[in-house]
Amino acid sequence: MIQYLLQVTNTHSADSSFWYLPVGVQFIFAIVFVAAMMGLTHFLGPKRKTSDKLETFASGIKTHGDARQPMAIKYFLVAILFVLFDVEVIFFYPYAVNFKSLGWDGFMAVLMFVAFFLAGFIYIIKKGALNWED
Amino acid sequence: MNALILSAIWGVVMMFSGIFTKSGAAIRGIAITGLALLLVVNVLDFQGTALVDINTRGMLVYNTFSYMFLNIVFGATLLYFFLSGSDMERVGLHLAEYFALIFFILAGISIVASFQTLLMLFLGIEIISIPLYILTGSDKRNLKSNEAALKYFLMGSFSTGLMLMGIALIYGSKGSFSLETIGAGTGVITPLLGGGMLLLLASMSFKVSAAPFHFWTPDVYDGAPTVFTSFMATIVKVAGFFAFIRLFETSFGSVQAQWQLFAAIITAATLLIGNITAVFQQSVKRMLAYSSIAQAGFMMFALVSLNGKGSEGLIYYAAAYSLATIGVFAVLIKLNDYTFEGFNGLGKSHPLLAATVTICLLSLAGIPATAGFMAKFYMLSAAVENGKVIWLVILGVLCAAISVYYYFRVIQAIYFKDGEPQVAEVSTTFKVVMVLIAVLVVYFGIFPQRLTDFLYMVY
Repeated sequence: MIQYLLQVTNTHSADSSFWYLPVGVQFIFAIVFVAAMMGLTHFLGPKRKTSDKLETFASGIKTHGDARQPMAIKYFLVAILFVLFDVEVIFFYPYAVNFKSLGWDGFMAVLMFVAFFLAGFIYIIKKGALNWED
Repeated sequence: MNALILSAIWGVVMMFSGIFTKSGAAIRGIAITGLALLLVVNVLDFQGTALVDINTRGMLVYNTFSYMFLNIVFGATLLYFFLSGSDMERVGLHLAEYFALIFFILAGISIVASFQTLLMLFLGIEIISIPLYILTGSDKRNLKSNEAALKYFLMGSFSTGLMLMGIALIYGSKGSFSLETIGAGTGVITPLLGGGMLLLLASMSFKVSAAPFHFWTPDVYDGAPTVFTSFMATIVKVAGFFAFIRLFETSFGSVQAQWQLFAAIITAATLLIGNITAVFQQSVKRMLAYSSIAQAGFMMFALVSLNGKGSEGLIYYAAAYSLATIGVFAVLIKLNDYTFEGFNGLGKSHPLLAATVTICLLSLAGIPATAGFMAKFYMLSAAVENGKVIWLVILGVLCAAISVYYYFRVIQAIYFKDGEPQVAEVSTTFKVVMVLIAVLVVYFGIFPQRLTDFLYMVY
């Protein structure tokens, strides 16, 4: 058993599923741990059932109306576009680090990237995605 | 390679065309020009005149099969644009964006036709899938379209997850993404490699809607706007098959004996489920969704037999199936009523449309002297040549016989039932292209070698 866990014997090929035993052990541990914790809290925890607990919790404010009402997506649009362009900027960091070694080829590739990037930016402006007033 | 670059750039061009003009005809004109250019560039590339030559370091490798397949894809899309381009305007306001998304899908197909590493396979499949999720939900006010898009997105991303898991397992056992390297040392299947291979088999089966991974297909094809169903069920599906066969031929060809039975069972299930369920459909659109599953069963023969005839047959099948299905869908879009009764009396009121759509349906059913017959013949003879799956050939022939029932139900409605079909206005271009499709279907049915000979041309 101990030799399986520590994997001291080295007779298995690198291709063998033998090497994945620790992963399996971790899987089993994760499942057992979650099941045990949920079971324990279920059995040991005190239970007080009241009708208030069945109501929707909205930060202590009394709920009103329906959740499915139309709302403006302007803020969402701005936020999602911010995330999009923010993530694109991240690609400059690895380029900046390797600026010299990538040479002109790298520069051309990044130039192309920026061109596509700007095309997208012009597109969303022309489409009016950033117009706050209607 | 050039087609890949041009299709990506033309997608951006299409995006901007929507800003500068609101005219549908102008946008369609730009799209058709782009596609014609794409076809020309690809043919030139095929003959060895590359406009730009980029070193992909062995990640993308184009061979005759890739070029020929891309020619068929671009040609079929061109016909599709001519037939159904004007109907896209009825889906929603964003006509230019729909064309842009289709061009991005074509870029994905160019990758999928030439990938040589699992990384590129993943990228290609994703570039195809993501625009499709959007196109499925493009009819924003239609609840069914929304449902279809969400369903497709959730299940599609899940199957992509499976594919990534499979790629990870294969990388874990082989230490490389390259198809050649994976194929090189694969004499026996180790548990790790086998697990990865099965996950890839499952996720690719999902993408081509083979049973038992087909459950999304009828709902998505039924819910999506019919113009986009037509594109999804034909060009995208055959691209999925091309990737499927290329992957398994190069990487797992040497251990075929160990997974052939799996593939054969998937094929048999796809054939049976597709054909038998199609019989019970009341809507022609949904019937065509099941018919596309049934036809996928026939294309799976190329995977099961995995020989030269199979690959050749797949190229031929791609052309035959796409042409006929695009034709049937194009006429279906023009009808108001998608049930079988909607076709009643079409033979009297629109004889030309009726005749061309009948030829397309005959081809799908596999009647001799049409391309569909030769396509099925290629697939079955590939399996016979393989020799180990004769039971599957018998099943295939039986299922082809079942399929005659539901295709002929439409023909029966067209010619032998009386009614007043409500057909939208049909332009002259539409009629000309429909006749062209019917002529091509018959021509390739009589001279199949005119298409497959290209595969052996060496420039």
